[in-house]
Amino acid sequence: MKPIDNRAWLLVLPVLVLVAFSAVVPLMTVVNYSVQDSFGSNEFFWNGIGWFDDLLHSERMWDALGRQILFSAIVLLIEVPLGILIALHMPRKGFWSSLCLVLMALPLLIPFNVVGTIWQIFGRVDIGLLGRAVAALGIDYNYTRDAIDAWVTIVVMDVWHWTSLIALLAYAGLRSIPQAYYQAAEIDQASRWAVFRFIELPKMRGVLVIAILLRFMDSFMIYTEPFVVTGGGPGNATTFLSIDLVKMALGQFDLGPAAAFSIMYFLVILLVSWAFYTVMTNLDREEGPR
Amino acid sequence: MSLDPHAPSGLIPPVDEHATAPIRRPRVAPLAATLAILMGGLLAFLLWAAPRTDEGISWGDPLIPGGWMAWTLATALFFWIIAALILLFLVLALRFPETPRKGVLGIETTRGDRLFITLLGSAFLNLAWLGLVDRAQWGALVLCLIFAAGVFRWA
Repeated sequence: MKPIDNRAWLLVLPVLVLVAFSAVVPLMTVVNYSVQDSFGSNEFFWNGIGWFDDLLHSERMWDALGRQILFSAIVLLIEVPLGILIALHMPRKGFWSSLCLVLMALPLLIPFNVVGTIWQIFGRVDIGLLGRAVAALGIDYNYTRDAIDAWVTIVVMDVWHWTSLIALLAYAGLRSIPQAYYQAAEIDQASRWAVFRFIELPKMRGVLVIAILLRFMDSFMIYTEPFVVTGGGPGNATTFLSIDLVKMALGQFDLGPAAAFSIMYFLVILLVSWAFYTVMTNLDREEGPR
Repeated sequence: MSLDPHAPSGLIPPVDEHATAPIRRPRVAPLAATLAILMGGLLAFLLWAAPRTDEGISWGDPLIPGGWMAWTLATALFFWIIAALILLFLVLALRFPETPRKGVLGIETTRGDRLFITLLGSAFLNLAWLGLVDRAQWGALVLCLIFAAGVFRWA
């Protein structure tokens, strides 16, 4: 292997100035907030690591983190297999394939707050189609009162909104598999499962890693949709990390704790992104020269 | 056709590709000196500008009373250390171009990757110490240094 010549990075320096203003300095101010107490009007009092200490021992943050992880896990467990399944059954070419692609892309084009509003109304028992229909089946469904109902509504909404993304990415991965692989499998009389397990799945690995990364990040940062549908309720049942953070920072104007919270949130996201990035680049390197 | 073991084989002798001129190391001394002076000056300035009481430097008081964001010496030093580390590794990368290696983590890492892993891991170690151990926070720093040594040696 040749040593890496990193000198080209110096050419990025001008961008660094821009990034400094848009990201680095704001991030530095968050760090600065996190160690101080403020009552507004630019008056600050040193608090050291006090906020971090408080938060690490507060049930509120751990509960929000737990809900967030549970939500991301559920969403990924449903959307990834479902997306792959849909991709496998989409028409390969012709008019129907184009139609499918357009239809699948539609939910992705809708702004987050509109998705929230659609489902907020769709799920209402008094006027919403879904709410009325479920109630007519004799199920006691009310997402503003019952925590489970609220969770189901939000998960279904997210699945409706984002499964297409996984399906489209998986479809792109499938289309790039040369026909020769399928012919070889046919000659070997491979079962449908074997074709999926040993040809399609390995060939889709790259796009699936990206799809899972995207979905994880988006679901881990989700704010708008649950905020519009349930507002974090009933109680705190759907108060995810970002909702809690906004409540803390803007609702209560507790800038110090909110900043400490943001930093921990940021660290988790940084860790996960780094892990995914490392896995992806390592995969690329292994697959590259073949 | 007789085979004479001493006759020239007719083959071109293999060239030792590694036996070429030694790699030219770029000269980074001027850059390193400039950066050292800049960062050293900045540090000196920060320490000079820090507010003081009778008991010495007060770490948590604003560097500029009433100024924007009430930056304190402690926060400034935190960022100074990170900036200094990045610049140090910049100079090292220019002076000693390196080959990525595979360590205990099973991934290819360069020096910069190891620094990143160290810093990110240190953040989590500090939080874990704060949340789980009821001791002075500098204990976490010791732990981080051990972690850093491990990462740079084996990762």
